[in-house]
Amino acid sequence: MRRLGPVVELGGPVLLVVAAGLLATVVSRSTEIYVLQAVVAVAMVVAIYVFVGNSGVLSFGQISFVAVGAFAAGVMTVPLALKGTILRDLFPILRDHELGNLSSLALAAVIGAVLAALVGLPLMRLSGLAAGIATFAVLEITNNLLREWTAIGPGATTLSLVPQTTGPGQATLGVLLVIGVAYAYQRSRFGRRLRATREDPAAAQAVGISIHRQRLGAFVLSGALCGFAGGLYVHMLGSISTGQVYLELTFLTLAMLVVGGMTSLWGAVVGALSVSALDSFLAEAEHGALPDGSRLVVVGALMALVLVLRPSGITGGRELRL
Amino acid sequence: MPLAVVDAQTLVDAVALGAVYALMAVGIGLVFGVLRLVNFAYGQLVMAGAYTLAFTSQFHPVLSIVACFAVVIALSTAIDLAVFRPLRGQSPAVMLVTTFALAFLLQAIARIVDVRDGTIGEPVRVVGQLNRAVSVGGVNVRQVTIVAIGLGIVMLGLLALLLGRTTIGLHMRAAAADFRTARLLGVRSNRVIGFAVFLSAVLAALVAIVLTVRRPLVTPAYGLHETIVVLVGVVVGGLDRLWTATLGGFAIGFATGVINGVLPTDKTIFLPTAVFTLVILVLLLRPGGLFVPRGATTVERV
Amino acid sequence: MEVRHGSVAAVRGLSLEVREGELVGLIGPNGAGKSTTLHAVMGAVPISAGEILVDGVSVAGRAPEAIARSGVALVPEGRRVFASFSVEENLRLGLAARRNGKGEEALEEAYDLFPMLKESRRRPAGVLSGGQQQQLAIARGLVACPQLLLLDEPSLGLAPAVVDSLFATLARIRERGVCVLLVEQRAQRTVALADRTYVLANGELRATLVPADASDTDRLVAAYLA
Repeated sequence: MRRLGPVVELGGPVLLVVAAGLLATVVSRSTEIYVLQAVVAVAMVVAIYVFVGNSGVLSFGQISFVAVGAFAAGVMTVPLALKGTILRDLFPILRDHELGNLSSLALAAVIGAVLAALVGLPLMRLSGLAAGIATFAVLEITNNLLREWTAIGPGATTLSLVPQTTGPGQATLGVLLVIGVAYAYQRSRFGRRLRATREDPAAAQAVGISIHRQRLGAFVLSGALCGFAGGLYVHMLGSISTGQVYLELTFLTLAMLVVGGMTSLWGAVVGALSVSALDSFLAEAEHGALPDGSRLVVVGALMALVLVLRPSGITGGRELRL
Repeated sequence: MPLAVVDAQTLVDAVALGAVYALMAVGIGLVFGVLRLVNFAYGQLVMAGAYTLAFTSQFHPVLSIVACFAVVIALSTAIDLAVFRPLRGQSPAVMLVTTFALAFLLQAIARIVDVRDGTIGEPVRVVGQLNRAVSVGGVNVRQVTIVAIGLGIVMLGLLALLLGRTTIGLHMRAAAADFRTARLLGVRSNRVIGFAVFLSAVLAALVAIVLTVRRPLVTPAYGLHETIVVLVGVVVGGLDRLWTATLGGFAIGFATGVINGVLPTDKTIFLPTAVFTLVILVLLLRPGGLFVPRGATTVERV
Repeated sequence: MEVRHGSVAAVRGLSLEVREGELVGLIGPNGAGKSTTLHAVMGAVPISAGEILVDGVSVAGRAPEAIARSGVALVPEGRRVFASFSVEENLRLGLAARRNGKGEEALEEAYDLFPMLKESRRRPAGVLSGGQQQQLAIARGLVACPQLLLLDEPSLGLAPAVVDSLFATLARIRERGVCVLLVEQRAQRTVALADRTYVLANGELRATLVPADASDTDRLVAAYLA
């Protein structure tokens, strides 16, 4: 039974994601986009979980890495012939090169990791609560630069004409990769050390664990996975604007993580899928009877309710067990 | 010389912005002191106050302002009873993310209320006359700037008196320093927390009045951006003490005002980047808080 | 007053009482449950079963501040004075538990009992010596005019001479008619001072000693180690 533990812990999330991926292939075109969105949301939430879940430090900044990943992958895959006209102000190196689908995803991951390392170095030295709040600074800087600096992206306009390569296949495989990396990390000695600092910082330091270094490591890995998820996201949507990867997405992904259970991979996956389902349902309803904004009212109320009544989330923050 | 390009006008405006942010920082810091809760939904109290001013624009200004205070205080008390109280004893991270959810919830509700007339945004006309400029020593200053600075000084002075000289102030300080011991001595937690929540609401209402003079169009996102800036400022100043948090709020407002004046006009779109990059640099040099005395121990509060 | 802990592992089936004008000791080895008992009385830890009566009124399940305001004051372990507050502010915090006025008179009485505190009333409590801080903590408990004063290891970390004056102070407090429950590690001195001393071990009542037992070292050791 004990040897089955890891199989179940990893198998549960994998099966759920594969099921969602298969679902995307059989439903109608208009429903497919909701399912794909849910699958990509899993990638983002698991990527955020790698840092927030393992360290216990809240971060409002991870969506910055999703944003840079999405824009990097998007800008670099717009066909060269079109770039000259729609993205004229780009730096020449960005304007005159084009990447394929896979290399753009790799670039998104690298750029997410680099940015995370850059800002994590000072921020991870702060105490946990302060570090979490300070990550807002990262979100604000990223959003401001992406929106205003036309040498690195489309600026305030929507970036469109991005190849839509994230179908059910790429979405599922991409998310499985993210889950695999997240699981490998949390089973590694680094993951264990970071979780030790979450449970008891003083004791962890007493046995020689550097809180700063362990948090930084997870922050960078999370940044890479967030960037990668951003790449998947832009290739699913085919277009993106800065407003789509800012506060509301930060709120939604955190809601997913919290509702599922912040401290487990299983919680991240379950939360992402269930809140996505609810969100899609409400988005449809907003087209009909409900007033605009009811979607956020319900998700916000759900999140607050879960936090007040069951702060460890619907999975209790534990991994799946038989 | 950067100083050469900062004129008196810029400095006065920067001080005024700093004063408004300092008031918000006190509002957030007071509640943090007694509850160890960072209230991300603080901006939505300001937003509710601003909407109240907008919806009561046809009444006498005094009535409108009284309504603003009443609504903000009522909302703040309701949040304390319905959300903060059940959360007591939770980890700071759980409390912060809950208020984050609350902020979005209130914002979405405001959106539903606001769009009933088909448009987003409601104008406030009550206190618009404060926008007139007066000349002070050759510098043109809008009246609201003077009001903001004056309010900041008066409120901080009153607060210092309240905390330093009254029994409830003593109890609040004791609760902030060591809540467990304070309760064992008979300090009533509900009273102290309720009073902190009340004070923070009063400050939010004042901020709403000052902000709506500067930006009369109230939208659901009103106060959200300010809250983020102030929270970051509070962390830069030092979260563990009320006065360092307040100074942090003032500093980030003042820095925003000065950088805005220094940046060339076509570069002011990068103001947030400049301000928050400065924040990260400061945190790199002083991770314990800009105004926390060197050597002072900071408690790890995950 | 009676405290019973039903199924709590820390303290089991404990029943003790402090009568009018008594100073009662509670001794026992580390981890015996002495501090837990005091915290249970104060409502700082919940009791799973049993009753806590003050003046015949049950206070079990009430918040710590409510219990403090019903006439029970705790001088906590480690003194817990507010280091950055002035001595007088610390004393005024003790007034939080008073329901009636006359706080100023209580302060004056406390200053009469501890003249040292009056001299340093404006200084931050953190600069006082350990013994002075202990006096402050006791005075802070007394200004609430409690019917029952709980002391949690007041002699901990104090120099021997300071311990002497501490025990003299406790005797004076009893003379003023305040009931005292004294938790201590210094068994012999406590037994000698107290009207009765309960010995607690592993969360259970082991023995009850009277002052005469203080000189009977064998009996003390037996009670402790049995």
